[in-house]
Amino acid sequence: MRSIRRFATVLGAGTLILGTLTLSLAATSVTASAVSKFKACVVTDTGGINDGSFNQSAYDGLKDAAKADNNISYTYLSSSASTDYAPNINQFISEKCGIIVTVGFLMDTATKNAANAHPSQKFAIVDDAPAVKKGTHVSALQYETDQAGFLGGILAAGSSKTGVVATYGGENFSAVTLYENGFVAGVRYYDLTYKKKVTVLGWTPPKVACNLNKCAGTGTFVNSFTDQTAGKSDTTAFFAEHADIVFPVAGSVGLGSVAAAKLAGAGHSIIWVDSNGCIQEKADCKYFLGTVAKGVEPSVEAAVLSAAKGTFKSGSYIGTLKNNGTALEYGGISVPSSLKAEIATAKAGIIAGTISVNPNKYPAVK
Amino acid sequence: MSDVATKPRPSLWVRYTSSSPIVVTIYALILGLVIGALIIVTTTPAVLDAWRGLFSSWNGLPHALNVSFNNVGAGYREMFTGSIVDPQGFWHSLVTGKGWPNTLTPLSETLTYATPLVIVSIGVGIAFQTGLFNIGANGQAVIGGIAGVAFGSMLHMPTIIHLPLALVAGVAGGMLCGALPGVLKAYTGAHEVIVTLMFNYVTYAFLLFMVLSTPFQQPGQSNDLSRTMDPTAVLPPLFGTKSGLRVSYGVFVAALVVLFAWWLLNRSSLGFDFRVTGANPSAARASGINARKVIVVAFLISGGLAGLAGVVQVASTTHYVDGTFLIGNAGIGFTAITVALLGRNRPIGIVWAALLFAALGVGGRNMQSTTGIPLDLATVIQSAIVLFVATPVLVKEIFRLRNVSTVGLQISTTGWGS
Repeated sequence: MRSIRRFATVLGAGTLILGTLTLSLAATSVTASAVSKFKACVVTDTGGINDGSFNQSAYDGLKDAAKADNNISYTYLSSSASTDYAPNINQFISEKCGIIVTVGFLMDTATKNAANAHPSQKFAIVDDAPAVKKGTHVSALQYETDQAGFLGGILAAGSSKTGVVATYGGENFSAVTLYENGFVAGVRYYDLTYKKKVTVLGWTPPKVACNLNKCAGTGTFVNSFTDQTAGKSDTTAFFAEHADIVFPVAGSVGLGSVAAAKLAGAGHSIIWVDSNGCIQEKADCKYFLGTVAKGVEPSVEAAVLSAAKGTFKSGSYIGTLKNNGTALEYGGISVPSSLKAEIATAKAGIIAGTISVNPNKYPAVK
Repeated sequence: MSDVATKPRPSLWVRYTSSSPIVVTIYALILGLVIGALIIVTTTPAVLDAWRGLFSSWNGLPHALNVSFNNVGAGYREMFTGSIVDPQGFWHSLVTGKGWPNTLTPLSETLTYATPLVIVSIGVGIAFQTGLFNIGANGQAVIGGIAGVAFGSMLHMPTIIHLPLALVAGVAGGMLCGALPGVLKAYTGAHEVIVTLMFNYVTYAFLLFMVLSTPFQQPGQSNDLSRTMDPTAVLPPLFGTKSGLRVSYGVFVAALVVLFAWWLLNRSSLGFDFRVTGANPSAARASGINARKVIVVAFLISGGLAGLAGVVQVASTTHYVDGTFLIGNAGIGFTAITVALLGRNRPIGIVWAALLFAALGVGGRNMQSTTGIPLDLATVIQSAIVLFVATPVLVKEIFRLRNVSTVGLQISTTGWGS
């Protein structure tokens, strides 16, 4: 009796393995037909496609493109560490992706190496302009986020009850610090123009003017785009220093700031970053004063669509307030219309070029 | 085992239905894959849709089963072709002689991931055999990586000296980091699990400090990035840079480590002392083995190998370290604990276990990008396999295996008590 049962067990296991193998082979023909589609592929940074921030925006850009053009299919790979960048990109090259979107400045080297080795492969990189060889097909998507950050600074300064606002970054490189630099400039502009005394914690602008590729001041950094605990403790520390509005520029780390604002109670709010907080993090909308948004989603969509149509252009795309590549969006906390008007004035001034977003132009009020 | 040795060779049937360690491991592997299949079936939207329509038409059940098997099959097929070889591409390359780099990429990636994992797992395994839990292998590997990059990027000399120097620096860094818990354990009785575990955090903070401060940070960069190693200090790709295959000369380093570990554990008197101490510390002490020396030396070797793994990892892939080096999912020092368990702390067993883990990880990437099944499934399968290997009684009951011997089935866990 026992031997029969044993026989049945082994037979069952054997059938399972054989069956799986057979079906695997059978499935080969199923997927083969889907290859003719144009494939858009995104390699995300460690935040992954659900970070409520720029990785998610890039992935959403792919989805939008697929909605707009039936011939586009999309897929993604997320990196668990910087060692994954190169293999993830190589994986997509071997899958013959029509365009590979890489997300973030940290993928600069990996994208550059891959583009130089495969000049005919189309790439779009968000937040970075790698120094690639001639003849490669790389579209560099960058955003002058200090312009919208400036408006965020005005929003924060105009809304602060305590006279202290704060910002912190994920890591100290220009794609992050440009936001903060504009934010500080906006606060100082507000102080000077409207005779107020609002101080900013967390970022000291460099002496030289910032540009898209260099903005090396000093400030508070959590050294992560995923560590929400660090975001929470830094934000709590800012609240302890009487700040009432915090602007985290660190992707999903900002959710830690939201948690801190919840704990701290009424009167504490967050300015979200990259993509509208009230859409990405609906449940927390009432904690958001606004969002300093970066147009990752539409620009990635445009890059993918152009690659699918064959009108792909290498080189740089720069998002500004003018072309809606960066913008200030309001959140769940109501903002007085007088402040909104002041922000609209500043926006017009920045677009017209009469208002500078360089914080060194506005001496800090002591 | 002894009764098996004296009797005539048992038939295949008897061997594969008895609970020898290898058989249990193979069945654990099958169980892990079955659990992975169940997870694919219960989490893939297309499959769930098919099951929802179970009663909506006469062929609801066959359809649902068909979709389930198709998805599971596709997932595992992509895992296989993404980590070992795509038979179609292999045949194409064999016939036409073209496209070899593409065909060999999956295998090369698996080896690239497995190389440092083998080294660090053997380090952990040696400590296990001595009855010591080295939970700090990850931190030791981080220090090894830092030391390797420091020597590889800030000194300049010809390859023949530079590369060995960088490797030795990594080993020394790991040893230093491993010696401390060893000495504390040997002379004060501080528990090595606590000390090594906490030491990981110290090393992470040290890593962040290093990559953000002047001599070590990449010049002109303000974020957490180290200098890049000189070309003379890195482990070059086995088939040249042109091939695009990342597998490096590090595999030979790993092979040497395996040989060393085998000799140490099976042929040297020191290794004998290790194993006796691991099996029964009191007996070891009674028979005149110097327990303090054994503990310190075991930790030196374990830490040194972890450090070597760190530097091999850097020197064969990125050539620099950043703030996320070996943090989180990339923490090979933690994976090493499970790999060592799966390989039963024996060098050859660890090689197979590390290859399996690397293949699951690398294949998972291919699976995610082609079928959309999340990469995390690979981690689930890895964990399930280790769970079953660690509970041989469960596997024995599920497959109703004969109870031939339990020697070798027990995994040493004396570290918690001694």
